[in-house]
Amino acid sequence: MNAPLIPGEALAPELGLVAAAISGILFGFFLERAGFGSSRKLTAIFYLQDFAVLRVMFTAVVVAMVGLLVLGGIGQIDLAMLAIPDTYIWGQALGGLAIGIGFAVGGC
Amino acid sequence: MSRRDSGREDAAYWSPYVAGLGLGITLLLTYYVMGHGLGASGAFTQLTAKIVHRVAPDHTQVNSYLRGYLASGSFWRSWIVIEVLGVFVGGLLGALTAGRFKVQIERGPHATAGGRLLLALLGGAGVGFGSRLAQGCTSGQALSGGAVLAVGSWLFTLAFFLGGYMVASLVRRQWR
Repeated sequence: MNAPLIPGEALAPELGLVAAAISGILFGFFLERAGFGSSRKLTAIFYLQDFAVLRVMFTAVVVAMVGLLVLGGIGQIDLAMLAIPDTYIWGQALGGLAIGIGFAVGGC
Repeated sequence: MSRRDSGREDAAYWSPYVAGLGLGITLLLTYYVMGHGLGASGAFTQLTAKIVHRVAPDHTQVNSYLRGYLASGSFWRSWIVIEVLGVFVGGLLGALTAGRFKVQIERGPHATAGGRLLLALLGGAGVGFGSRLAQGCTSGQALSGGAVLAVGSWLFTLAFFLGGYMVASLVRRQWR
């Protein structure tokens, strides 16, 4: 088992930047296709008029989560090697609040 | 789906479940190859560290926060900088191939362009400050942290929606 590929040394670290570019291009493409190039569409969730943000985000979360669990379960990826965001209760609660406010005001 | 929004542009967007599936597979692949999820705000912190180091190198040496970013290698070899440039390219490709590319200051019918830009700047500052406080934004925390069931990331996500709904009525005219 050597996935995740770069931390597991199955791929050279130099290829990390190529992988990052591919991830970014796909990320940007699917966000645009979802309509997230539009600030009005993004903020519409706060006026209960369009729940695309919630639908897209949670679909993506569930797909990635189930994929990781299945790959981990059949021994294709070492889940212990994944970077999991640390928990800082106040930082994440207040930071999330600030981003939510900024998102509704700024529309990003 | 808002009636007011159901124009031609809206019709061309993918079903949120199809776009979400694509996004989820992208996130899964990123974890599979890189061992971490997607991000966005970190690229701007890298940029901040680079600019401050250019202007005031002494300051970055004594500032333990910025020094940490400089220690992780050069700007152009930072995965998150390359990823965010990729997001720009992917978004541009998406808009061009869908015939949606347009120069505009998007706003509600009663909002002014100047006011919209000012609030975009203020809101952006709030997002920037919050993303450093939380060590990530909606990409790194809500999406990537959410998929690996990080407790703090789910707290972040709840706080994010709380913040948005708290102020939405104050800026309604900006968008609706």
